[in-house]
Amino acid sequence: VIAQIWQYVLAGVVAGAIYALIAAGFVLIYQVTGIINFAQGEFAMIGAMTASALATGGMPVLEAAGIAVLAAAVTGALCYLLAIRPARAATGVTLIFITLGLDVALRGLALFVWGTNPLSLPAFSGGSAILIFGGALPPQALWVLLTDVVVFAALYLFFRHTYAGTAVRAAVANPPIASTFGIPLRTFAFWSFVAAAAIGGLGGVVVAPITSATYDMGLTLGLAGFVAAVLGGLDSLPGALVGGFALGIVEKLAGGLFSTGWEQGVGFLILVLVLVLRPQGLLGRAVRRA
Amino acid sequence: VYGRIGLVLLVIVAGLVRVLPSYYTGLLTQIGIYALVTVGLNLFMGYAGQVSLGQAAFVGIGAYTSAMLATKAHVTPWIGMVAGAIAAALVAYVLSFVALRLRENLLALATLALGIVINVVFNEWEFLGGSSGIKDIPGFALGTFTFDQRAYAILAWALLALGIWFAGNLVRSTFGRSLIAISAGELGAEALGVDAERLKRQTFVLSAVYAGVAGAVYASSFTYIDPTSFSFLLSVNFVLMSVIGGIRSLWGAVIGAAVVVALGQFLQIAVPIVLPSARGDFQQFFLGVILIAMLILLPRGITSRIGEARA
Repeated sequence: VIAQIWQYVLAGVVAGAIYALIAAGFVLIYQVTGIINFAQGEFAMIGAMTASALATGGMPVLEAAGIAVLAAAVTGALCYLLAIRPARAATGVTLIFITLGLDVALRGLALFVWGTNPLSLPAFSGGSAILIFGGALPPQALWVLLTDVVVFAALYLFFRHTYAGTAVRAAVANPPIASTFGIPLRTFAFWSFVAAAAIGGLGGVVVAPITSATYDMGLTLGLAGFVAAVLGGLDSLPGALVGGFALGIVEKLAGGLFSTGWEQGVGFLILVLVLVLRPQGLLGRAVRRA
Repeated sequence: VYGRIGLVLLVIVAGLVRVLPSYYTGLLTQIGIYALVTVGLNLFMGYAGQVSLGQAAFVGIGAYTSAMLATKAHVTPWIGMVAGAIAAALVAYVLSFVALRLRENLLALATLALGIVINVVFNEWEFLGGSSGIKDIPGFALGTFTFDQRAYAILAWALLALGIWFAGNLVRSTFGRSLIAISAGELGAEALGVDAERLKRQTFVLSAVYAGVAGAVYASSFTYIDPTSFSFLLSVNFVLMSVIGGIRSLWGAVIGAAVVVALGQFLQIAVPIVLPSARGDFQQFFLGVILIAMLILLPRGITSRIGEARA
């Protein structure tokens, strides 16, 4: 039983790594724009589907992956320009509904383009399963974890050690004052969507060889990403990382020990508990009442 | 006024079902059921200014309660309908202690999450038929008359008329005015002596009652339910109906439901002609685009324009 539990934990770490990436995109958009982007998971879907479709068509995997991330980023840009920007005067609930509309529209679009059949993507590298204390991981899991390390390190360096990153932090801390210093809030909003979409797309690409890609994978991934982001604290990138892994492990344990149908259910029960007991998340700051 | 609008609609529907083929009668029933849910949702979202992305779950609770009572205990759907409404209300009441402490973004997330958790319960609880759902759900009957498609259309619209009449009276009462005050600003409303938490809870529970009744009628008229009938996508559809008709409008709910159902039918016919390769639930794309377009161009719904013209 212990060995089995360990195996679930390992599977949870891999799932959690993806959740962390989607949660990171979430946190980026929320911090910069105050919008909860319900379409976040669809960016991962677009990454996964594009890469799989291209690779099935004969393109080398890494090339397909690169184009897929680009496709996701462009999708993010279009979402902002076509749906979010025209409605910038709107209030919170309207913006929620708009991103909800984006989510449904992107999923429908994927259905148009790729149909309902799952697509598969070859693993980035061959080799046999990796054994860690008797638990097995597919080789692709290393790529997933590596992606997490690279993305979160890059985000950290950007926000802490670049001029632009500091400017974004200023814009998050106090938009009106940042604006008087010439910080372009709208441009940041645009780039936050592009970056979130690219990171989400990357997450979809690296996970596709493990889970395969379907047009409707975005909803589940997106919801898991929300839970991870809320769990960690919506205003905290390290929180996204912690929340992602915590959720992944708990989900796989629940799925393994009870029934796979409960995986999602457990995630949401945690979400509800967190929202009630600690709405600012594990690593977030207390919510300011507007 | 709302009572009369409801009655007029009911009379029109009663007339229509005599001439329409049964397929369209079925669509009318569907519109009536969806509109009933949307009226309840509009009370909660439009008037009280809250948001629910899990309304399909309450429809499901109403449907499952009535269907289980009818198939396992041979209870007539008339009682099942009341039981379904009570069950949905009870669940909403309990959940309200969790959900209603939150606002906007987080409330949207929480209701969405609760909706999906309830759907997981439908799926995983073998007692409820699991993923294969419940088949051969007994229909409504009056004496020796078993309901046919026409009777269901009339039943759905009669309930809708009743629902609109009740909601119409409610929104013009102190209760309704207080709800609008809450949506304008909770602190301000409380300063005026409105018990915001209690009113929000009552409205949430009421919206679940509407959904529960609608669910019970749905279960008996379609004779088959499974967890996918009450998925997240249905909740999104209710939001779409609400937004299209205007979230702070009661008869807008009827327009919204009619537009969304008609649109679904239209797309099912039109899209394969234009794009023969399209498959599956492709209408989703258009529903999403329309939702976004409505929110940008006409954020208060179709009825807001009509209302402005009259004023």
